[in-house]
Order: sequence, then structure tokens, then C-alpha cells
Amino acid sequence: MSITRILAEVKSYGKQYMRNKSAAFFSFAFPVLMILIFGAMFGSGGISKMTIQVQNLDDGQYSQAILDLMNKTTLVNIKMISPETNLTDYIKENSLDVAIQFPADFSGEISQGMSNTSALAAKVVLYGDPSQSTFGTVASVVGQVVVQLNYNMAHARPLAEMEVRHVASANYSMMDYFLPGVIGITVMTNAMYSMTAVCATQKSKGYSKMLATTLLRKDEWLVSKFIFYTVLLTTSLLLTYFVGSLVFEMHSSITLLTIVLIAAGAFVFTSMGMLLGTVIKDAESANAVAGAIGFPMMFLSGAFFPLEAAPAWLQAISKGIPLTYFNDALRDTMVFANNASALTNLAIVGVIGVVVFVLASRLMSWKE
Amino acid sequence: MSEAEIWQIEEDEGLITQAYPRRMAKRELKDGIIEVERLSKHYPPDLKAVDEISFTIKRGQIFSLLGPNGAGKTTAVEILEGLREPTSGSARIFGVDISHDYDKIRKRVGILPQNFEPFEMLRPLEALEYWAHLFNMKKSNKELLELIESVGLGGKKDAMGGKMSGGEKRKLGIAMSLINDPELLFLDEPTTGLDPKARRDLWALIQGIKKRGATVVLTTHYLDEAEKLSDDVAIMNKGRVIARGTPDQLIEQYGKETYIVLVGVGQTAVEELAKRGITSHRENGNVVVPVSNPRELRTMFAKLSSIQVEFKDMYTRRQTLEDVFLNLVGQKMDEGVLRA
Repeated sequence: MSITRILAEVKSYGKQYMRNKSAAFFSFAFPVLMILIFGAMFGSGGISKMTIQVQNLDDGQYSQAILDLMNKTTLVNIKMISPETNLTDYIKENSLDVAIQFPADFSGEISQGMSNTSALAAKVVLYGDPSQSTFGTVASVVGQVVVQLNYNMAHARPLAEMEVRHVASANYSMMDYFLPGVIGITVMTNAMYSMTAVCATQKSKGYSKMLATTLLRKDEWLVSKFIFYTVLLTTSLLLTYFVGSLVFEMHSSITLLTIVLIAAGAFVFTSMGMLLGTVIKDAESANAVAGAIGFPMMFLSGAFFPLEAAPAWLQAISKGIPLTYFNDALRDTMVFANNASALTNLAIVGVIGVVVFVLASRLMSWKE
Repeated sequence: MSEAEIWQIEEDEGLITQAYPRRMAKRELKDGIIEVERLSKHYPPDLKAVDEISFTIKRGQIFSLLGPNGAGKTTAVEILEGLREPTSGSARIFGVDISHDYDKIRKRVGILPQNFEPFEMLRPLEALEYWAHLFNMKKSNKELLELIESVGLGGKKDAMGGKMSGGEKRKLGIAMSLINDPELLFLDEPTTGLDPKARRDLWALIQGIKKRGATVVLTTHYLDEAEKLSDDVAIMNKGRVIARGTPDQLIEQYGKETYIVLVGVGQTAVEELAKRGITSHRENGNVVVPVSNPRELRTMFAKLSSIQVEFKDMYTRRQTLEDVFLNLVGQKMDEGVLRA
């Protein structure tokens, strides 16, 4: 391999890349924007107040007591619906995910239940779409409030309670857990998407043929891309981390292993981009093909949503995705300071990278 | 160019070295820098893109592969550039079998591919510096600027590749193909789609490259271009070489007639000539009289002078490669497309 040729390729590609405004945006501004937007959304611990629409057909004290308890949770804003309104029509017209109804004589039924042990429990009714996350949250809040009301009326107190403790450090914020996911997505999208497009453009513009007429070898070209993306993405990581730390007081740390991981990520995802590039004929279809592979990877890797509750088959697919191991490794070293686990995940990323690199360099042709 | 002149240029430019001694260069001058033997390229199920072509290209010449689109010119030349594998046959460049040892000669060859596009986001100086490094060469800015000037891009040295005109892009492509000071240069349809001025500029550039001692292999579908530039022409059609020689040889061998052109006369002249038993036809506002044997020209001039036809001027026009192509293929060629 010739260092002169590799560095010339890195320098030339770097110039062309940085002169492309959209590429520069996705490398630097996009991850910073993601951190700022998600930070603004979840920066206060990840929970924001939600509005619950309530129709109270009951005039009694107990429905009011439940509403008071709900207000005290500081999790919800309550908006009342007129008792004259047809609730199901109202929900449809306003596309509500959830609404609560206290039936007429709700308080009367509770009073009756206190004196007659065989009477049925009074019901607070939840209307809505159980597939929506809002429905689940409201159901949880209402359930807890109703349990609390039952304790109050029975003059009982809970004997066991839940206490939440952060695994890594009490100082860590939501953004610290979120940052590795942002880095993972940035590395994947930059390296894989742009390499797919580069390979397609090389073919359609005849650059590959031109390169084949020089002394540059395919493996030198591949290595040059790997070097370029490692430098680019490490810079992007440092910038994102700096902005995140400045705005959200993050405490996760960038270790030497983090940089090694960025290099491994650049290696595996540039190789994947090249592999995809071998089957694409034109630049126009490059983004569509990269997207078809990249988007499922993004969601199935658990970068933003934990997959523990997902079906077993989906979790099995997740185990076959390099981004999963890449994200886990970043989280291991940056948040949990568990370098042993990070190294295991790094090894898996490395093995996948080598396999994809060899495949890409075999299948990629600059000639006929 | 004489043999002595070539030696002088080669010694001046350091091309004659221990690794490439004069005796090797002499052999190439005598026997050919490129030797192609029954070269074929077939594609399934039954396309014979190149069909058993053979030729030798001598050192220091401009050799043109001339033919319509789909004749097999680019396929043939891309085999010689090491970009395609032949189905059968062999080719040697500088005495090296290109199917096995192309890497040994890569540094001595310059290539301008068909439909060349420069890197859109690089300026000429940057592109040339980059390209030099890909040949393990380090060129000073002065050398690169001289190269840019030599291809006529001095006024565009700060323009991005993507912002250049078609002619400027090709000039940059030629500059890139010259970065390694090649002894052999392949130019695949360098003037296709360019305006007449840009074409003439490139012709001058190609002639200049020849003067520097390089051998040029040119593919083109422009008959005037091949005639103007080439020392040696192979006409290709349907994958085969159907005629071979210098433009003069081809015209002599396949051209049928010489013409006398009477300028500024009308249809009445054609009728008048017909009465005297002289065949003629109108062409671009003139009257053209074909003469099958050049030795009969003097007699025909005498006959035409005796006829009472007013004309502004009279000159002879010999057949061109365009006429040769028409005689060989039976169709005219327009922008690479055969027409009835």
C-alpha cells in the first residue's frame, strides 16, 4: 500500500466533501441539532405535562377527590368536557388518544360500597386507543390515583414502595443516556449513506474507470475512506459532546475507547456503504437503498427505544445488526464505564466490519 | 517526425533510461508500440463487440480507430487500457502482455476515458496535484500551472470542475491524462459533443502532444477529425476492422473519384453539361463534376473551359474519408449514427 496515494485520496475527498454544503451539514450540524432538540424535549428528566380531557357526570365528592389527586401528581393538566357532550363523538372529532369519564352517581356507588361489602366497585372509564403511548401513560396515572384513593378511604398506607436510582451515577442526566445513540446514528448515516452515494456517483460519472487508470488500488481507496470518516466523525463527536455538555450539563465521558469505537464504526459502516454501492447503478437510487437498510437499523438497534419489550423475533434481528453492538459499546464506555463489555461489543463490530470490507473489496469493480 | 528527432526528444525528456533502453525503443519504433492479435470481446448471448481485430501501432504516431457508435471502438480501446478483459486474442503494449502485466506499464500510459467528467468540487490545480500523487509523483505548482497553460486552461485555473464548459472539461481531462508524462496516450472520443471551435482547439492540443513524442490512440466518429489528425487509421464497423491505412492510402484505395467544383452556377449549367455528355450534380449551390481518373482532369478542364457557362471560380476537390466511409459501409455517418 502507498501512503502517498492514500493521503492524496483522503485530502482530495476531504476537500470535495467539505465543499458539499449538505454533506457538511449532516456531519456537524445534524448531530448537534439532534442533541439540542432531544435535549429540549427530554432535558427535564424526560417527562412533560400532558393534558387529559375529563367528563365528570358525577356531582359527588369522590370524583372530585380523584381529580384533585391527579392534579397533585404534576404530571397532567386536566381539561373538563361538558357533561352534555356526547363523549365518543367528541373523542372522534378531536382525534383524542384518551379521555376519562366519571359516570353519573360514581360517588354514590362508592358510598354504597363502603356500607355494603357485596356491592360492585365504582368505575372510572378510560376511552381511547390503547395502541397509543399517551393512553398507557394516562392509564398508569389514573390507576395509581385510584389506588391512592382506595388507601385513603381505607385509612391504609403502603408497606412497600418503589425507589428509582440511576445505575451509573446520580449526576447523569437523560441526555447522557441519549448521547451514545446520537453518535451511533451520526456515524452510521454519515459513513454508510454517503459511501453508498459516492460509489454510485463514481460509477455513473466514470470516476471509477478513471481511478482504475492510475496506480491507486481498490484497497487503498477503501482505506482512505475509512481514515477520512474516522477523522470526520471524531470531530463531529467532539463537537456534539461539547455543545451537549455546555447546554445540558452532561457528565458522560469520552474515553480513548470511544475514539477507537468511532474508528470501528467508520470502518464497518463505510464498508457497508461500499457493499451497497456495488449493487446500485445510479446516484438517484443510492439514498433510497441506503435508507431502506439504514432506517430499520436505526430503530432495531435500540438507539432511541429499548427493545426489551419487543417481540422475540424482533430482538433476534436486532442481534444481527452492527449498529446494536456499536451503540451498546458506546453506552458501555461512555455511561457505564464498563470497558470490558465495550471491548466485547467492539470485537463483534470489528468482525462484522472485516467480513463486510472483504466482501465489498471483492465485489466492487472499477473496470468492466 | 523523423527517428532522429524522436530520439532527441526522448533523451531530452529522460525517457531513454537503463530500464527502458534505446534498443527497446528502437524495436517499438520498428515493430510497433502496440501489437494487437485477433483480439475479440463477446457478450452473451451473441454480441461480438470486437471481432478478431489485429493491428500494430507505431511509436510517435496518431492512430485513429474510426467508426460509428457501436462499432466496437471503445470496447477495443478499453481492452488496451486494461479496463476490460478480452474474450480471446492478445495485445502487447511496450512488449508487455496486457492481460497479465498491465501494472508494469500503467505509469507509461495516459488515458482520457469516453465521456470524461472532472471532479465537480476540485479546481484544475487541485485535480492535477491529486492525480500526480496517484501516480506517485510530486509536481511543483509551477509544473502544474505550466500543464494547465499548455492545455489552454490558464484562464480557468480557479474554476471548479463542475462549472466548466464541455471543451474546458475535456482539456482538463487531457491535462490529467498527461500528468504522468505518458509515452502512450489513449483519447476516447475527446471531441464528441463539442462546438467547432472547441474541437479545433483540441485538435491543436493533440497535435502538440504528438510533437512531444507521445504515441496517441484516438477513437472518433468524426471523419474530418481522423483525416486531419491521423497518421494511421483503422475503420471499424460491427466489431471488425474493415479498412486500414493512412488517410491518403485509404482515399486512394477506396475513394472512387475526384471532383471539379464550379462555383456560382445554377441548374442550367447541369443541363448544359449534360448536352455535352458530362455528368454533374448540384451540391451546396455549386455544380460538381466527378472525374473517375485523376489523369483525366486536364482533359475535363479543357472541356469545361470551352463550354459557355459563367462561373465565379473552379477548383478540384479530392474525395475525403467521408466518401471512403460511404463507399465502404454504404451509409453516411452523422454524429456517430449511420444514416441511409
